[in-house]
Amino acid sequence: MNTGGLILIVGSLLAASGAFIWLALKLEGGGKKTKDKNTPQTQLTAAAQEDVEHIFNTEFREELRNRGRLHFEKILGENAMFLQQDLRQTTTQLNDYMRAEITRTLQEEFKKYEQSIVDAKQIAIDSIEKTVATIEQQRQFLEQQMQSQSEAQKNRIINRFEAEMATIVNHYVLLAIGNQIDLTDQMDFILGEMQANKQAIIEDIKRGAT
Amino acid sequence: MEQLKLPAIVIGQSDIARLQRELNGLNDFFTSARARQTGISMQLPKLTRILNQLAHENGINLLEEPDRQKLSAALTALYEHAPSLHISFASEPSPKAMETLVLWVRANIHPHALILVGLQPSVAAGCFLRTPNKVFDLSLRTTLKKSEPYLIKLIAGAVSGR
Repeated sequence: MNTGGLILIVGSLLAASGAFIWLALKLEGGGKKTKDKNTPQTQLTAAAQEDVEHIFNTEFREELRNRGRLHFEKILGENAMFLQQDLRQTTTQLNDYMRAEITRTLQEEFKKYEQSIVDAKQIAIDSIEKTVATIEQQRQFLEQQMQSQSEAQKNRIINRFEAEMATIVNHYVLLAIGNQIDLTDQMDFILGEMQANKQAIIEDIKRGAT
Repeated sequence: MEQLKLPAIVIGQSDIARLQRELNGLNDFFTSARARQTGISMQLPKLTRILNQLAHENGINLLEEPDRQKLSAALTALYEHAPSLHISFASEPSPKAMETLVLWVRANIHPHALILVGLQPSVAAGCFLRTPNKVFDLSLRTTLKKSEPYLIKLIAGAVSGR
């Protein structure tokens, strides 16, 4: 049952009530007009009224009222049932609609949330990759720097060692066998060296003598 | 002086000075011997081996005054004019080593060369020779310095395992 049917039923009930009221008023107004009781019309009217009173007596009216009340209650019950059904159906539809809407909204929100998570994850991955790349560059730079420094240090040590090698070996010989080496054993070496410088020594002696 | 032959045990100016002092002492002894009274015995002073050897190698009779005067003059001339070489070693040289060295110097450099020995612990091996105007570094360090390329080659070979 839709709203139009309900309006129609309520309208018919109102019309029936209006007819009862009008009839009651009419019957009451007819009694007042009996100013002249002796006229035939008056008598007829009185007789009619009496018949009416006889037909539509109090019990009958009460019966009619009861029937109307019952009918009205029945109609109200039916309509209430229809209304309840409609309300239940509407509620069910509304629930379905709300569920669907909520589900859709939640799905959209979840999608957005998931997309946000994916974006954040991608941003984090990009950031980590950039950090890793930067660290790798730094590592390579440091490695090159350390290698170059190590190479320079090695070269410095080698150059210094080469420059001071004679002194180092001499110092080593001095520490190792300085106290044990005998001049007699060195005499061949010393005489060989003097032989190599013999001419210079003689010339210097002659120059010193003059 | 030209005729004087120096034995190997006469090394430096200090030996010449010692010989002169000894020779003077000998002269003094003979002078006092001439002035002695008859009957007083005198004992000839004991001569050192260095003076004996010097006199023997040069055919000098130390009992003769002219010979002693000749030797004294020669020693004075040596002390004043003989070329002197200063040699520094890492440690005190043995007499045998010094004899070898002196013989070589007098045979090859100058027959009257005198040697003054010094100590230079940092020499390690070899010696420093100082003449009147020059210093000759005859140490092992200089020799190693000269042969540095060969030493580097040896070290490089040892490092590379070849």
